[in-house]
Amino acid sequence: MPVPLGYYLGLAAIIFTVGVIGVLVRRNAIIILMSIELMLNGANLTLVAFSVHLQELSGQVFVFLVMTVAAAEAAVGLAIIVMIFRNRESVNVDNLNIMKW
Amino acid sequence: MLDKVWLVLLFPLLGFLLNGLFGWKFKRGLINLIACGSVGLSFLVSLGVFLDLLKLAPEARHFEKVLFPWVVSGSFKTAFSFLVDPLSALMILVVSGVAFLIHIYSTGYMHDDPGYVRYFSYLNLFTFSMLLLVLADNLLLMYIGWEAVGLCSYLLIGFWYEKKSAADAGKKAFIVNRIGDFGFALGIMLTFVIFGTVYFTPILERAPEVLQYGGAAATAITLLLFLGAVGKSAQIPLYVWLPDAMEGPTPVSALIHAATMVTAGIYMVARLSALFLMAPVSMLVVAIVGGVTALYAASIGLMQNDIKRVLAYSTISQLGYMFLACGVGAFGAGIFHLMTHAFFKALLFLCAGSVMHALAGELNIQKMGGLKKHMPVTYWTFLMGTLAIAGIPGFSGFFSKDEIIWKAFSSAQGHFLLWFLGAAGALMTAFYMFRLLFLTFHGKSRLTPELEKRAHESPNKMTVPLIILAVLAVIGGYVGIPHLLGGGNRIEKFLEPSFGQVSKAVETHHSGGVELLMMIISVLIALGGVYLAYTFYIKKTELPKKLAERYRSIYTLIYNKYYVDEIYNAVIVQPLKFFAIICWRFFDVIVIDGSANGLAKLVGLIGNLIRRFETGYVRNYALGFVVGVVIILGYFMLR
Amino acid sequence: MNLTLIIPEIFLFLWALLILFVDFFTAEEKKHRLGPLSLVGIVITVVLVVFSGQGQAFGEMFSADYYSLSFAIIFLGSAFLAICTSIDFARERIKHQGEYYALILLSTVGMMFLAASRELLSMYVSLELTTISLFVLSAYLKTDLKSSEAGLKYMILGAASSAILLYGISLLYGITGTTVLKGIQAELVGSAFPGPLLVISLVFIIAGFSFKLAAVPFHMWAPDVYEGAPTPITAYLSVASKGAGLAAMVRVFFGSLLPVTSEWIPLFMALATMTMVLGNIVAIRQSNIKRMLAYSSIAQVGYILVALSAASELATTSMILYLLVYMFANIGAFAVVIAFYNHSGTDEICEYAGLSRRSPFLAISLVIFFLSLVGIPPLAGFVGKYLLFLAAIQKGYYWLVGVAVLTSVISLFYYMNVVRQMYFRKPTKNDPVKVSWSLRLALVLSLIGVIAVGVYPDPFVSLISKAASVFVY
Repeated sequence: MPVPLGYYLGLAAIIFTVGVIGVLVRRNAIIILMSIELMLNGANLTLVAFSVHLQELSGQVFVFLVMTVAAAEAAVGLAIIVMIFRNRESVNVDNLNIMKW
Repeated sequence: MLDKVWLVLLFPLLGFLLNGLFGWKFKRGLINLIACGSVGLSFLVSLGVFLDLLKLAPEARHFEKVLFPWVVSGSFKTAFSFLVDPLSALMILVVSGVAFLIHIYSTGYMHDDPGYVRYFSYLNLFTFSMLLLVLADNLLLMYIGWEAVGLCSYLLIGFWYEKKSAADAGKKAFIVNRIGDFGFALGIMLTFVIFGTVYFTPILERAPEVLQYGGAAATAITLLLFLGAVGKSAQIPLYVWLPDAMEGPTPVSALIHAATMVTAGIYMVARLSALFLMAPVSMLVVAIVGGVTALYAASIGLMQNDIKRVLAYSTISQLGYMFLACGVGAFGAGIFHLMTHAFFKALLFLCAGSVMHALAGELNIQKMGGLKKHMPVTYWTFLMGTLAIAGIPGFSGFFSKDEIIWKAFSSAQGHFLLWFLGAAGALMTAFYMFRLLFLTFHGKSRLTPELEKRAHESPNKMTVPLIILAVLAVIGGYVGIPHLLGGGNRIEKFLEPSFGQVSKAVETHHSGGVELLMMIISVLIALGGVYLAYTFYIKKTELPKKLAERYRSIYTLIYNKYYVDEIYNAVIVQPLKFFAIICWRFFDVIVIDGSANGLAKLVGLIGNLIRRFETGYVRNYALGFVVGVVIILGYFMLR
Repeated sequence: MNLTLIIPEIFLFLWALLILFVDFFTAEEKKHRLGPLSLVGIVITVVLVVFSGQGQAFGEMFSADYYSLSFAIIFLGSAFLAICTSIDFARERIKHQGEYYALILLSTVGMMFLAASRELLSMYVSLELTTISLFVLSAYLKTDLKSSEAGLKYMILGAASSAILLYGISLLYGITGTTVLKGIQAELVGSAFPGPLLVISLVFIIAGFSFKLAAVPFHMWAPDVYEGAPTPITAYLSVASKGAGLAAMVRVFFGSLLPVTSEWIPLFMALATMTMVLGNIVAIRQSNIKRMLAYSSIAQVGYILVALSAASELATTSMILYLLVYMFANIGAFAVVIAFYNHSGTDEICEYAGLSRRSPFLAISLVIFFLSLVGIPPLAGFVGKYLLFLAAIQKGYYWLVGVAVLTSVISLFYYMNVVRQMYFRKPTKNDPVKVSWSLRLALVLSLIGVIAVGVYPDPFVSLISKAASVFVY
């Protein structure tokens, strides 16, 4: 007996929420980046689950492209984090508030 | 000529562009030629348009000229197009004519100013904007002219921006005007919603069918529009900018007070007369605001010692008369007074400029006196202007002001109290104008010795416009001699097609005897004012001081202009600033360091959510984002 | 043939690669010539866009119509102006100029695809192409603390917001079974009551796009990023990035979600109100001109949202026109800021004291741009705002228009503050501010735009109203 759609969606929602919370509570920029990946993966899982459920392929194609985009995003993000580290010797986002108000 | 009406606008615009872009390379003579010539040509074209209009039969005096389409989107169409009818023809004639004289005068007055080119290019733009406002055949184009006039006044009032007071006055004028414009803009939108068009002709034609007489829509539209007029024409409560506006060069004051800018509000109300007639409540508001302003501003004028300030308050007061006329349905009388006022007020301001020119910028009339012998031309022309504004029979102001005061009493919307406001204002007007005249030109000289030596008559460039305006101030009223005195009241007959059904609505219902009585009363009032001023300032010069001593508190109250500026500052400006600071602190400063670590504190966080904006911490921004999502979700779920 | 329709995009992409290639063989002191080279590429692309045909390609993924045409011209125009303003800035302050220009072009390619796509997948990918390039650009001043901070903030928040957007898209896909906008619309017409899943997906999609638009409460990244990013990038970001968000938002909402208007219109009204109020009020207290312009651009988005909630043909017309008008005025204002920064190295408003005497041309240009942003006739901003408000009025949203007009009166305060500094304060220095040819070009083009659209908007409006007619309201 196949796993019902609701389970997939529930898991995806949980992964997504964990990602959101990670972005909110973690201070290390790299971990925040990883949390964003979690959010994307939650969305990916939803897409795949729906795609299988609906017997429609475009959802799975979508996931491939999202993964590519996520890789690009991670590359750029890490580059920026490296730059920040060189400037300040810290990747704690709470230290970054020259600009405010 | 009617077809070429757009030339009226083209010339001042060209003048502005030429002088504004290339003026710094030009010689003085060329600048003068461009600036004065463009307005002069514009005046000639206006004259041609006017004469052509006169040739037509009264009913046929209505001409529209489309220059090019402006915005066309779906059902919404606007074009650059102009309307020539008796009202706008008269207005362009007055505006371009008076502006022309002021341009010529300015070539003498501004002779030594380093910003000579800048001044004339602004002046041309100012004239252009006002002509655009007057010629527009739809509300949107009128609004463009309206805003442009406000902008030019800002530039010209703040012309000497090195002076802080001038810069502040310019800013004040701009901002106060924006408050009025806010109403005007909403009024236009509401008109569009109800009529589906912004063109005057269909709006005015269909007003009686579309609007219900006295209905909410008619009242709302007209009150919003009137708010715009109040701002532009400096009526209570938005008059505060006009007295400060004299920080600009004096010819600019003359232009603002006489031909352009402040008359725009009157013109707009008169142009939309058919709308206003559908809203009796608004008419009453217009009449009361006008009447009260007429009296109120005149009372402030009684005590001012600054020659230009007296004139500024007198303008506010005279504008009040015009609104009073419009409010009782006598639009023709209002426009008539607008015209005569343009002549004598331009004259008075230019004379004041001439006095300042002679006395190195001295403004305080307590330090003048006896100038009659130094500057005879200025004195005689100023006298003509004073006689006209005081309403002495035979001078232009008499005919127009008397017409208004009579209509305030006699027309269907008139009332004894309105008449009283007007009449009391007239008494004060005669008084303060003659006080000004006596203190400045008569009596013993109170000048400092070096000024005494310096005092001289102004050059011909300045006196010639004075003489022309003086002649107009005397004879300008003869186009509107009332029936009672054997005249045909030609001007109101001429304007009648523009106010179609209006004139019928305000048919007088009194006999000639009452009218004659009223006229005699108002003549007596004017003479009484003159006599009072004469006793106070020529015969018994110690009297004013004694009175001021005795009624100390009233005197200070009026002298300080009823503390209105201070009240505005306390009630409007400060709270607004306060509000901005609160928002800024609230969202941005207080909020830092909520220290939100971990899930455990999430609940506590939600309480702090709204305070956490713009802290500089990226995690707080993410939180703001998520909270935004959550709130919106909550809104949908709980709906 | 599918490929012929995307020739302009392909060309611009190849041109970006060309820039990288040429960069490789160019001596360091000659690299500033890459700027004009990219300008040439943009001009050619504009020609290609105008003369390439219309039609659909790759199924529903790409559609060249008047809508994509108008947006493409706006994007290319703002890239053109932004590069004009970059040339001196980049020569003096930026290493790796080749990548800088190439990234601007790549980001523009993404925007062009975005405006043309009628399908969520291609929309998402092109949106990411746009924003990832912008992440890099905003962090481009590598050693500058502000710039790197801006880059990190933008990257974290931007990536998170697109993840949320993606989640919303995935749910919408699940509900309707398709990613094609037309198909989604067809599905939604049938459904009687929108379930909670649809609501969640709608909210996520709105949040994701609102982030790009910097609408309150999703605006918080904007002031920091605008302040920290290199100023030409700020100029580009404030117009093109917003434009991209708007293009996608209008496509999605007017192209597929019109059957459920009652769901999202009140929401947009609320967003519009908050955005106008907060943007304008907070701007008053700013002392840094870039930050002030950031809040002012937040406020400007509020006015656009007013029309978005009107959802009519006039609304679409007015939004696109407003974006065009806003492009000229805002990039023009930033061009002045850049010219001043290049000369004096500061963005503080108080340093603008007496600019009218040091450089009258810059001062009067800035005044004209500000007046257009306020919406004073006869400048372009007036026409734009008038149509926006008219669209809302036609739907009867009087109070919304009331708020909009009132807040634009408030906006006068902070713009006038700068004007007062420039005209009514004594300068602390007397050296004139030099303006190079490229900045002068950007300024003159923007001035022409602001005046021409204001005085004679009819041709622009009639072209744009063709773009608005691609949707069925």
